[in-house]
Amino acid sequence: MEKITIKINGKDIEAVKDQSVLEVARENGFAIPALCFHPEIETRAGSCRVCLVEVSQNGRTRLVTSCNYPVRKGLEVRTDTDLVRRIRKGVVELLLSRTPDSPVIQKLARENGIEKSRFFVDEGEHYRNRCIACSLCTQVCEEVVGVSAISMLDRGRDKAPGTPYLKPSQVCIGCGACAYACPTDAISMIDEGEVRKIWGREFKMVTCSVCGKPYIPEAQVDWIVKTTGKDRSFFDKCPDHR
Amino acid sequence: MGIDIRKIDEIIERYDKSEESLLAILQDFQHTFRYVPEEGMKRVSEVLGVPESKIYGVGTFYKALSLKPVGRHTCKVCTGTACHLKGAHTLTDIIGKELGVEPGGTTKDGRFTLQTVNCVGACALAPVVMVDDEDYYEGSSPQDVLKNLRKYK
Repeated sequence: MEKITIKINGKDIEAVKDQSVLEVARENGFAIPALCFHPEIETRAGSCRVCLVEVSQNGRTRLVTSCNYPVRKGLEVRTDTDLVRRIRKGVVELLLSRTPDSPVIQKLARENGIEKSRFFVDEGEHYRNRCIACSLCTQVCEEVVGVSAISMLDRGRDKAPGTPYLKPSQVCIGCGACAYACPTDAISMIDEGEVRKIWGREFKMVTCSVCGKPYIPEAQVDWIVKTTGKDRSFFDKCPDHR
Repeated sequence: MGIDIRKIDEIIERYDKSEESLLAILQDFQHTFRYVPEEGMKRVSEVLGVPESKIYGVGTFYKALSLKPVGRHTCKVCTGTACHLKGAHTLTDIIGKELGVEPGGTTKDGRFTLQTVNCVGACALAPVVMVDDEDYYEGSSPQDVLKNLRKYK
């Protein structure tokens, strides 16, 4: 853990070498908007491009995605210059043309002074109209959950997450981590009584023996028992009644 | 579909059992079966220990891989800059009409798949048509192209 000093918006900031600019900035109270950043995910795809900042190092200044740019000695960061604002506005405007139905993107657009995207508005399947193809869902499924039930399919403007062969996945455990992680609420997960519907498959839920609330898919319990060796009876009660 | 599982295994056998072999195996599937069959992807997943989701992701990503059977011959009409200016789209329409398919489609008899591609690197011949990745036809006379296409059975 090598401690270094960098400058953010002219202020000296202490940081640990190789931390991301985004995390250092946020820890020190500088707001940087971001969609596809999640602290628990090691893959920093930098795909949403919203976290752009200006950095200067060795006399060179350029725009980088702060979520995956490592801090080094002598780095100067500016989070709110005219250039950053202008480019970010363009990025958000493009996102809005892809996901016109997403309240998250609509809000971000308003914050960046965009009323309406000047670009072609893509009309497709509903979830695609909210998905910005950042691949955070597939990373969560692979890195955190460990089942890799979904992946990014196709490319270009058709790129979107999905299950193999677009059929209900046999390895999916119905945990809903993908829907939880999604920054634009693009993934449909519906809990109806004792059934959860996600990615075209129905999961039977385990009911809490105290409050009677269905709270976790059986398949997820199976997975946790299998991978951690935890006792099955642990899941008789929901977290509120353990 | 009647895909021979032994053929699938034969192809997988040729390569190291590691993730790096994935694309090469899928390309061999494409070459042998003229598409990448679901059974094949399932088998690759088992043997290489790569999640099916990843394999399907690769299968949908590359244009050189098709998840549906393609025709015995592929007819690629170049729509790169030079070809575009020289009327590639008219040429596509004419060939499409002759074959009775839209770009991306396969004729009912399975003889041809018609595709538009971005540049085949033969701009001097623009507009150019490439058949089976080896024969190039200079397409400024669509009638000649159609005549040449008839050679392919």
